[in-house]
Amino acid sequence: MRRLWSTFNLPTKISAAWISIVMFFVVTGSFLPLPDPTEFDPDASGVGLFSSGHLLGTDINGYDLLSNVVNGARISILIALISVGVGGLIGSAIGIGSAYVRGKLDIAVNLFFNILLSIPNLVLGLALVAILATSADPAIPIDPNRRVFIIIFSLTVVIIPILGRIARGATLSWVNREFIVAARSMGMKDRHIIFKHIVPNVLPAIYAVIFLAIGVVIVAEGALSLLGVGIIDGVSWGAMIGRVAGDFTYAPQSMYVPVIVLALTVIAFNQIGDHLRSQLDSREGKI
Amino acid sequence: MNEQLKSLGLDGNAFTFYFHWLNDFVRGNFGYIIFPGGGREPVSNRLATALPISLRLVVYVQIVSLLVSVPLGIYTAYRAGRRSDRVISYSLFAAASVPNFVFGLLLAIFIGVKLGWLPPLGYVDPSENFVEHIKTMILPVLSLSIPTIATYSRLLRSDVIATLREDYVTMAASKGLSNRRILFTHVLRPSSTTLFTSAALNMGALIGGTLVIEQIFSIPGLGSEIGIAIFSRQFFALQSYIALIAVGYVLFNGIIDVLLGFVDPRTRERRNA
Repeated sequence: MRRLWSTFNLPTKISAAWISIVMFFVVTGSFLPLPDPTEFDPDASGVGLFSSGHLLGTDINGYDLLSNVVNGARISILIALISVGVGGLIGSAIGIGSAYVRGKLDIAVNLFFNILLSIPNLVLGLALVAILATSADPAIPIDPNRRVFIIIFSLTVVIIPILGRIARGATLSWVNREFIVAARSMGMKDRHIIFKHIVPNVLPAIYAVIFLAIGVVIVAEGALSLLGVGIIDGVSWGAMIGRVAGDFTYAPQSMYVPVIVLALTVIAFNQIGDHLRSQLDSREGKI
Repeated sequence: MNEQLKSLGLDGNAFTFYFHWLNDFVRGNFGYIIFPGGGREPVSNRLATALPISLRLVVYVQIVSLLVSVPLGIYTAYRAGRRSDRVISYSLFAAASVPNFVFGLLLAIFIGVKLGWLPPLGYVDPSENFVEHIKTMILPVLSLSIPTIATYSRLLRSDVIATLREDYVTMAASKGLSNRRILFTHVLRPSSTTLFTSAALNMGALIGGTLVIEQIFSIPGLGSEIGIAIFSRQFFALQSYIALIAVGYVLFNGIIDVLLGFVDPRTRERRNA
């Protein structure tokens, strides 16, 4: 860990620090001495930055923006972590397995990934959420928790082919190396070859892409809210953006505060992912 | 009612419905938008107005992005490692990670509303008023272009750096050719294959991007139509729109594969070998 930190350059260190702050909010958000994010202040609606009691101002309804950003981190980051975690696990399992087995299964899996990847991320996510998050009766809105679950599920489906393809490609480049052939010729079980020899070598490539995938999911959550199918009445960055999307002329800070926080977080995750990838390239180069 | 269902292929199960739809889709019948009373409108009607708008937006974005990113990529590669390159490259990296709707919203607030220089939303057809058309398109095109420019110039930069190490570039420099001549006639073309490929691949991402941008700037393109289809539960239309996007995406990839052979004959030889 210390060795990894020492390879970080300044932008990467800043990114790591920013992610740490966001993670701190994710964990402690509800214990911090901030106004309730779901309670509005009737005396201060739409006040600007640095006004008393509201460091980042309030939106048109008087919701405290700082509190919403801090508490919103929890849902936004959790959605990203869960869908990338689950999607990554499923995707890598499929990718590694099919690349190891080869043959018809691999062709089918590759076709499946290519079909999913040929639909733009956002369109795929949007279509899934739109179709799954409808109740039989349009008058009854579906349960917010169920909606969060559907969003996580849809974004997981978006992530599976992205990470699956990376895992498949990385496995293909390792599966014919001498040490794998040697292990196989000595009669090592396939399961052991995969877990002891392939997975440790494929993992670094996946780590790097995982950070980029987290960025993709955070963006998708925001975009879904903008399109009106994201988290609507909860506390999340997407919800903040979605609430004021149509009307931000009166209190513009209610738009740019969440948008800038979201952008900074995505930049930070991408920077770390990019750094990990360049580390990986140089490691590969030395071999 | 039963006749209605039958003509739409909805009298069977989900599979027969799907094949009914697919059968129509490949023949160019994209299904119908069904109104509550039972009236219907062919999806192709909507497409005829919406698709050109989205395509226009995407084409503008590609033109602007390529025009800006080619000089930017060459400059940063030529200055690789110097301070000006480091500053530009880091800003480009940051810009590439920022989602386009962030730029869209910020531009709409600051340039559209606060400064009032350009209309913050709406769309005017070029046949009506060309100047107004350009004015309404500037902000959407800009917000889609900034991340695209950043991606493209980063790609071009790394390719140009690789090409600059080739022997024939040293040779050209030792012959005394000007830097400009070397960069634009000898380096740009062999370095541009990755750029072209990713520009083509980006068509899909851009269509996804127009979804949100069209919503922000209320442009009546394909993105808005998809939005409408989702909210009024026009699943026929939705299915056709998404299938069309996927088909278009695959088609673009095929076209660019052929074009690449012309831009860089080396790839053609490699494939034949």
